[in-house]
Amino acid sequence: MSIITVRNLRKEFKVSKHHRGMMGTLRNLTTREFTLVKAVDNIDFTIARGELVGYLGPNGAGKSTTIKMLTGLLTPTGGEVVVNGRVPHQQRQLYVQRIGAVFGQRTTLWWDLPVIESLELLRHIYRVPPDRYRQNLHEFTSLLEMESFLNTPVRSLSLGQRMRADICAALLHDPDLLFLDEPTIGLDVVAKERIREFVRHINSARGVTILLTTHDMADVERLCSRVMIIDHGRLLYDGRLQTLQDRFGGKRELVVDFAEPYPEVTVPGATLTHYHDLRATYEFERQTISASELIGLLSTQYRIRDLSVREPDIEGTIRRIYQEGLLTGDA
Amino acid sequence: MWHTLLLYRRLMSVQMRSQMQYRTAFVLETLSTAVIVAVEFGSVALVLNRFGGIQGWTLAEVAFLYGMSETAFGFMDMIFAGFDPPVFGQHVRRGTFDQLLLRPVNITAQVMGSEFTLRRLGKIALGVAIFAFAVQANQIIWTPLKLAYLPIVMFSLFLFFGGLFIIGATITFWTVDSIEVMNILTYGSSFTIDYPMTIYPDWIRRFFTFVVPVIFLSYYPALYFLDRPELAEAPPFAPFLSPVVGIGLLLALRFWHFGIRRYQSTGT
Amino acid sequence: MTFHSTTGRIARCPSQYLYPTMRLFWEFTVRSFQRHLTYRAAAVAGLVTNFFFGILRVSVLLAILGEQESIEGYGRAELFTYMALTQAIITYLSLFGWYDLMNAVHSGEIATDLLKPMGFVSFWLARDVGRAAVALLLRGVVIMALYSLFFDMVHPTSVAQVTAVAVSLILALLISFGFRFLLNLSAFWSPNARGIGRFGFTISWFFSGFLMPLAFFPAWVQQIAYLTPFPYALNVIVEIYTGQLTGPALWQTLCIQLLWGLLLFTLAHVTLRTAVKRLVILGG
Repeated sequence: MSIITVRNLRKEFKVSKHHRGMMGTLRNLTTREFTLVKAVDNIDFTIARGELVGYLGPNGAGKSTTIKMLTGLLTPTGGEVVVNGRVPHQQRQLYVQRIGAVFGQRTTLWWDLPVIESLELLRHIYRVPPDRYRQNLHEFTSLLEMESFLNTPVRSLSLGQRMRADICAALLHDPDLLFLDEPTIGLDVVAKERIREFVRHINSARGVTILLTTHDMADVERLCSRVMIIDHGRLLYDGRLQTLQDRFGGKRELVVDFAEPYPEVTVPGATLTHYHDLRATYEFERQTISASELIGLLSTQYRIRDLSVREPDIEGTIRRIYQEGLLTGDA
Repeated sequence: MWHTLLLYRRLMSVQMRSQMQYRTAFVLETLSTAVIVAVEFGSVALVLNRFGGIQGWTLAEVAFLYGMSETAFGFMDMIFAGFDPPVFGQHVRRGTFDQLLLRPVNITAQVMGSEFTLRRLGKIALGVAIFAFAVQANQIIWTPLKLAYLPIVMFSLFLFFGGLFIIGATITFWTVDSIEVMNILTYGSSFTIDYPMTIYPDWIRRFFTFVVPVIFLSYYPALYFLDRPELAEAPPFAPFLSPVVGIGLLLALRFWHFGIRRYQSTGT
Repeated sequence: MTFHSTTGRIARCPSQYLYPTMRLFWEFTVRSFQRHLTYRAAAVAGLVTNFFFGILRVSVLLAILGEQESIEGYGRAELFTYMALTQAIITYLSLFGWYDLMNAVHSGEIATDLLKPMGFVSFWLARDVGRAAVALLLRGVVIMALYSLFFDMVHPTSVAQVTAVAVSLILALLISFGFRFLLNLSAFWSPNARGIGRFGFTISWFFSGFLMPLAFFPAWVQQIAYLTPFPYALNVIVEIYTGQLTGPALWQTLCIQLLWGLLLFTLAHVTLRTAVKRLVILGG
């Protein structure tokens, strides 16, 4: 059963033109021209209950406009959004009772209050029954290791602590759906991992549907089986991350340590990029030859001491997709 | 509704506690809001005292207008601080307003609960003191009607200023650049009604009668309370319109909701 | 500890830093000019608001004047001029508050500023002169022109008087800068410097003649006011502009302005040095 249904969703903005420079400033004084910007241009997708989906795209691609429409902050220009059985922008106050949202860049907590008092206040805002509140609070604070700073004012928390407090705050009222925007931004490796662990937990153990927007591909790799990619307002890809990697992953690398020196070590289907001191590096494409075929080929001709395959990183793949517009042809 | 009110009270107490955390700063800021009123009224008092009044109004009579305006505006500025146009404009630009929209509580109550500037107590205290001086020095002939009407006038004036703040806040959905013009309506009307309206050019008096009808909340009621001779020339109902004008707040709220709807369709 | 070397530098003769200071001044002027043009809506809004409040303020003064020809040398034309000048000068002297230095202290930016190869006070003065120049040209002059369009005002009648007004304006900025700088330095001692600043600016409105022309106050208040530097930042400009101050009295006034300016500037230097020393001892 789907929790989010989006059909032909569009959002257009009128943007007034600004001319630059001295003459431009003078032109701005006299005329007012508008251009129509299609921030979101005919998107369709559905998300099933319990899914954990990554929503990716470069800055200004239409990501946050989509999220704002899904959360009821923006009214669409056209198309249809139904989330959790409601139309967000029409029934905002009722609708937001059942969702949670975390914006990594800014906190929803009260700056001068101890964390626990902010949470207490949110309990009243969302009218969480006292028992349920205690239960959730206990579970989240221990999973997120928040006990040590529950009584610290938010303004004196570290970024990682603040993020954990914000995530906890967004979940106290048992939302069906959680929007996570850059939940690991600016954190160190350990803190990132802790947050990912928790996100995975609430998704699998509590069945909370999660829509994650992030620039950190490690988040996506660890958490999302499904990703959607948006650019220039259009949905370019919706599917498994691995499929994307298979299609656009670029070259893989095989590093081989030979047991004895050979004068000539080239093999068909792969390019030798480096050969020095018994160690050779080959580049190969998964469409041309598979890793096992390549290893098979090499081991019939040479004595090999050790080898390893290096996969291209997803970060690079995604960057190439944006920069080279690899997906624009498909849509 | 009950839930909203309780929640507003909670949000308000959070604001108060946050401000009290920095005790010295709080005391200083409270004093400074008082000092501003003291210095401004002091300079008026010194001059009026030297020249024996202004257009037939004694210092004590001016103090009646002055105290009323400062007290009502002070209370409004404390309670409606969330709607203070430049402050609210910042919330919209920084996205903190969006965060309020994401909560399942009446948005107006949340904005009101987002700021509560307790330091205005300094201004309020001074306003009350000036008003008390005026009441004492003018030897007002109190009637039951006057006694009953005084709180109504004060409350209407308070609501009226609140309405102006709400209108100003709503305008920031469209523009923050020219929001300074709102000062004409808010601080402008508060300054104007510090003095008898007869001192101003006709167009200003008309502006504050028909466009921003604050004249019915201060000047005309004051004529009635002080039994001023100008009362004879004024329309007989003029001093008693204050509850009607105070409800202008409802119009402001209509505009506010219209603004939110527009904000939802355009973003910023 | 890095501040030690700078402490010495602050007091040094500023001439070798003249070029960077001039550059800085120019940069700031150009930048504020551009900003002003970009935010034209804000500029127009500011102008309209300024004009409106000016009319409210002058209405009070005219009502006090009533049927009389003039009070203490202020007739209708002089009152219009007083109102126009004080409204035009608000941004030039940052009368409604200036907390830039305070913010730099609280944010810690000050540390890098102290390391810059020029006198610290001169650095801030250059910034402020740039800011003030733009405020005077783009706001002050426009406001004066606007008011003279609508009202009968008194204007300087001779080249000498115009020169006197110009000199007085420059000296007023020096006094105002010194006062604001000192007020901002309180941030080195107190985390609540903003409150202190607000007090200071409020007091300055009263004594400078911004709330009422000083001549309207009882004599004893005027005597107290003239013991402070504030009238020399504002009230005397009006009196020179309207021709109430002439001859030896004018010369004397300009000299006192210069003295206050130098005194406050020196005081700023000395206080800064104490402040920095404190910063070094406390380790920031």
